[in-house]
Amino acid sequence: MSNLLNRIEKLIKEISGLDAFELISETKHGWEFYFIKGKLDQNRVTDEETVTAKLYLKSKEADGKEFLGSASGKLYPTLSDEEIKNKLMDIRYRAGLVKNPYYTLTDIKPDVPAKLSPVDISKVSGDFIRTIKELPANALTDVNSFEVFVSSVTRKTLNSNGVSYECAYPSSVLDLVVNAREKSVADGRGREIELYRILTSGTCDSDNLKETITELFNFGTDRLKAEPTPKTKIDTVILSTQDACELYNYFIMQMNASYKVRKISAYEKDVPIAEGRTGDKISIKALSSLKNSCADYPVDEEGAVIRERYLIENDVPLSFWGSRQFMSYLGEKESGIVRNVSVDGGISGKAELRTGDYIEVVEFSDFQVDPMSGDIVGEIRLGYLHEGDSVKIVTGGSISGSIVDVLPSLKFSSETKQYDTLVIPEVTRMEGMRITGVV
Amino acid sequence: MEARFSDYLSGIKSSLKKLIKLLSEDFDYVSVLATDSVGIRVIISQNSKSVSDSNMTTERGVCVRVRRDGLYSECAFNFSPEEDTEALYAGIKQELDAQLELIKLTGTPVYETDILPDEALNLFVEMEAEKLPEYADMDELIEFMTGISNRGMEIIPKVLDTQVSANSTHISKLFMTKNRDLSQSYVYTEGTVVAYAPNDKGEIKLYYGGVSGNGGLEILDGLTGKLEEAPKTMEELLAAGKVVPGEYDIITSPEVTGLIAHEAFGHGVEMDMFVKGRALGAEYIGKRVGSDLVTMHEGALTDESVTSYAFDDEGTLAGDVTEIDKGILKTGICDALSALRLGTVPTGNGKRENYAHKVYTRMTNTVFDSGEDTLEDMIASIKHGYLLKGMESGMEDPKHWGIQCIISRGYEIKDGKLTGNVVSPVIMTGYVPDLLGAVSMATPDRCIYGNGGCGKGHKEWVKVADGGPYLKTKARLG
Repeated sequence: MSNLLNRIEKLIKEISGLDAFELISETKHGWEFYFIKGKLDQNRVTDEETVTAKLYLKSKEADGKEFLGSASGKLYPTLSDEEIKNKLMDIRYRAGLVKNPYYTLTDIKPDVPAKLSPVDISKVSGDFIRTIKELPANALTDVNSFEVFVSSVTRKTLNSNGVSYECAYPSSVLDLVVNAREKSVADGRGREIELYRILTSGTCDSDNLKETITELFNFGTDRLKAEPTPKTKIDTVILSTQDACELYNYFIMQMNASYKVRKISAYEKDVPIAEGRTGDKISIKALSSLKNSCADYPVDEEGAVIRERYLIENDVPLSFWGSRQFMSYLGEKESGIVRNVSVDGGISGKAELRTGDYIEVVEFSDFQVDPMSGDIVGEIRLGYLHEGDSVKIVTGGSISGSIVDVLPSLKFSSETKQYDTLVIPEVTRMEGMRITGVV
Repeated sequence: MEARFSDYLSGIKSSLKKLIKLLSEDFDYVSVLATDSVGIRVIISQNSKSVSDSNMTTERGVCVRVRRDGLYSECAFNFSPEEDTEALYAGIKQELDAQLELIKLTGTPVYETDILPDEALNLFVEMEAEKLPEYADMDELIEFMTGISNRGMEIIPKVLDTQVSANSTHISKLFMTKNRDLSQSYVYTEGTVVAYAPNDKGEIKLYYGGVSGNGGLEILDGLTGKLEEAPKTMEELLAAGKVVPGEYDIITSPEVTGLIAHEAFGHGVEMDMFVKGRALGAEYIGKRVGSDLVTMHEGALTDESVTSYAFDDEGTLAGDVTEIDKGILKTGICDALSALRLGTVPTGNGKRENYAHKVYTRMTNTVFDSGEDTLEDMIASIKHGYLLKGMESGMEDPKHWGIQCIISRGYEIKDGKLTGNVVSPVIMTGYVPDLLGAVSMATPDRCIYGNGGCGKGHKEWVKVADGGPYLKTKARLG
């Protein structure tokens, strides 16, 4: 156990009148490398430790209604014992001012072993750098710049109910910009374009990364040939890249306990999410483990075990997920802040979904599906407009719509693909969208 | 009162001086940024309340920057520099050496950069703020915010919840080199009211109102006024239709004007992007990018807001840059290392998400200048178009000058009059020089907004502010 966490655990015993506490310690050791046009721009090391202390006080009103107040604070290793104690007393005082409906902290001791995978940040950093260097760059497509962040994270949770769990895991980010250019750009003429990706993962999956970036080079080459998106009556949009995660995240959030308690989600257990749907049935499963996810740990930060289960199965909500507070308000005995999720594939293969008239958008400025409103928007940076027998490569304009409109006929492929913490269908087909053309 | 500079930072100065001296034996440039920023985050809704002393800008840590053989390296940590400075020096050197060993093994060359200038400079700034977050009367604040949430439930139609949030941070930063000793302390505060209600289709519609500024908790008093706008706006959102996709004459409210400033020639002229060849702006310095009515300023000194500091995270003094003057792109904004590489001067825009993050060129206050037209004349001049209000989000595209702005609502104008029809949400896209080139009217008033955060790509979140007057231009709406 870290020295800081030890000190806080001892000092918290000196705070009078507390009804419960939760301590979450996180230490993070990271290496970072920044590259511009193949040269090392800067290297960085980070070394941090923090403990988040959350203190709880019970109260009861004259009518007998019980409340649980809480407040939290972040504590650093540079605080003296006296400063920590003063901070804890401030937090305790503030907890007394907050009145939330009563709930109890996690009291089920994790029945899974501590996950303390050693992380060699030097090796993982080297894997990323070598993978990028080995890419088949040429005069027309190459990597403009990239940033590698590799961290070893150790997290420990302790609470006043005796729950204690420690895990260590790797967490990586690759921020990448690729260029594609016309042949004549070397003469000072012609165009150069860029595409951007931010890829998160546990460690470096070299083969997957090469595949992703090679695909990006191809998109770049196509974007140079793109024409302005024309006005069109087509209302079908296909998504086949990381952007589709946004869409599935909407459904995951509808099953979040806080969304349910706050009445943002209208989903009810055992009641289908919509009537008369003609699209593929939606099945979404919470996972306790997912290889190479940046959050591959089986116990959440509150010390609750994340159970593998369907959140939604065949369009029917089965299980909400979330923090202890909001799960408790829904009357659930167990909680769990789910990070890793898989969406089951649909009936059709991806080739079957790519039929008829549609636009397949593979690059957006920033594709968004608002998890509260269900509004869908994105400016098209690269799309393929399929109309009759013709396929036009297009750029510019936008797509917009709403979950309410696309849900009835939403279809997705039987093939699936992992994007960090999410496994989703490779191809998603949405009808009822609006496409705003440029010309 | 003056926002007092951190006692903790004052206390570790001698250790940091010693560390700089030790590292200077191995490196030809050494600087240290140390931070100690305290604050609060309070969220009150009908369903849950939370209070924390941690928000997006609270931090305590140290970042050491060194240069050797043309390469800049950094080491960021949050343990004490006082306990054993010699061991800290040895540890920094050992770990940076291990990183360079890996770089050698991969055969990667270094992007060599000159030594940063280090003229002697001493500065100690404590800005004014009335109510400091660390001394917040939490009882009073919670009662005030609960009152707003409760009132929202009474007056906003069909409302499911009204969430009121407050963030306030008292920032203290110390920047030191062999010859520089800069200290600053200031406070910023922001508050928001978010109410949501379902329309007839079951879609959730959001009302959002915010206040922000350079100052203490007194800034939150403005939240009451924001609530007064909520019922009418929510009624409009619940009845809103969808815009017929197409190009329209538009009027942007100051909030939307700010979003355009930010996404168009905010990100578009961040000069670290020039170094990477990622910004079209580099080729347009001295050229026309907007109409004569377009003049734009950027800098921590441009306005008083959530990001009005005295010096940036590299020890460069704050500035006020005229980026666009009467439609002509004059210059960009620049961090210190990018300035060395480009042979220009830094503008005081080198910012970190916090001490543990790298510096990038980042915006501060990005603002369009005012004009002389009235809003009434603008509306009267439009045959068919929209008055756009309520900023939701935006995305930059410095390489190709595309722009994506997601806007809460559009008020239809036909034959010079508002029709009462509202569309929501609206996605505005276009080519930046076309959008700015079509600016034909601007009002004399000007507002600046600083709620939320700005990312570079999809990370590195910092506080920024942006704004301007009402502008009339043309854009594609969907």
